[in-house]
Amino acid sequence: MTETIAVLFIFFILILFGIMFYYKYQGVAFKEKQEELLGARAMDTTLKVLFLPEISCTKGEAEPEDNCFDMMKLRHANETFKKYITKYYFNLFSYSRIYVQEVYPEQTQYILYDKEIPFLEDGTKGWEKKEPTFFTVTLKDESKSAIIPHYGFGYVVVEVYL
Amino acid sequence: MRLSKSRSAQMEMIGLVIIVILISLGMLFAAQFALKENPQKKIFTRKGLSYSTMSALMKTTVYEPGCEGDFKSSLNPQIGKDLLEDCARNKGFIQDNGFSLYRCRNQHTCIFLREFISEMLNETLGGWNKNYEFTSELIQAESDVPQPLFEKIVGSHGGCYKKERDSSGLFPIHTESGLVQSQLLLCD
Repeated sequence: MTETIAVLFIFFILILFGIMFYYKYQGVAFKEKQEELLGARAMDTTLKVLFLPEISCTKGEAEPEDNCFDMMKLRHANETFKKYITKYYFNLFSYSRIYVQEVYPEQTQYILYDKEIPFLEDGTKGWEKKEPTFFTVTLKDESKSAIIPHYGFGYVVVEVYL
Repeated sequence: MRLSKSRSAQMEMIGLVIIVILISLGMLFAAQFALKENPQKKIFTRKGLSYSTMSALMKTTVYEPGCEGDFKSSLNPQIGKDLLEDCARNKGFIQDNGFSLYRCRNQHTCIFLREFISEMLNETLGGWNKNYEFTSELIQAESDVPQPLFEKIVGSHGGCYKKERDSSGLFPIHTESGLVQSQLLLCD
């Protein structure tokens, strides 16, 4: 009888451990899933930015250049983004911040899109995490020479909010 | 009496079997945790970033004092098109900062390239705490063994030793001296 009780006791202890472990695992799995979704959104937004005709290097009907932003477009892109932020760009980028940092030859920063999740009613910020994605790009500048385009070096940062 | 003893032994056996099953289930759970795949974003970023960094670097136009070369005009050289070729052609004069067509920062092109590429990579990949390695090699017709154009560039956080890594792929350039192959390895 005592042995049976002992076995049952151990059995229930193990069941309890199992439940506790599963509960913890579910918490971690949920967070991981959330991060995975955020990562996927960051990836998706970055790809959209890299192929955005408003800033990419295009020339007539030729194929756009890979990982290349046109400086002439970039310098004025912010105005277009601001003008159509609610009508068009919010559907594309949702709550995120996108900027291009020139590394060489100058060090200028171009903020393209900035839409943060609004503050909550109690005054705290509306997002708890942001996921940045970096991508190196070449910055084509045709204003420096009419014959050969000049290429700078920079990167684009896409931060998505959760 | 004997029957009751054998029944009790059977019960104990069942208890043990249940415990073993539960422990196995727990271990399966733990293994699932341990063998979890790398997040897709990490792989996508590493692959895309290595390629985009390399292609951006190769296209970059250099504006440094002395870079006009012998042309004495406002032609600024590109890393992939002009400087790597110049470095390959004049690799033999690298000792004592010898002759090269371009004299960016008053240095031999190979010396300048190593310095400049290190700076660019350090400001981008280095700033994002990435480990990386950049190599540029010359393959000549007379020899099968590729010769490094300059010493390998390794990130300030270290290179790629036994780690998950992705390559930009080889960026080949045909020059008069042979084939110049550059590659960037990015790792976590």
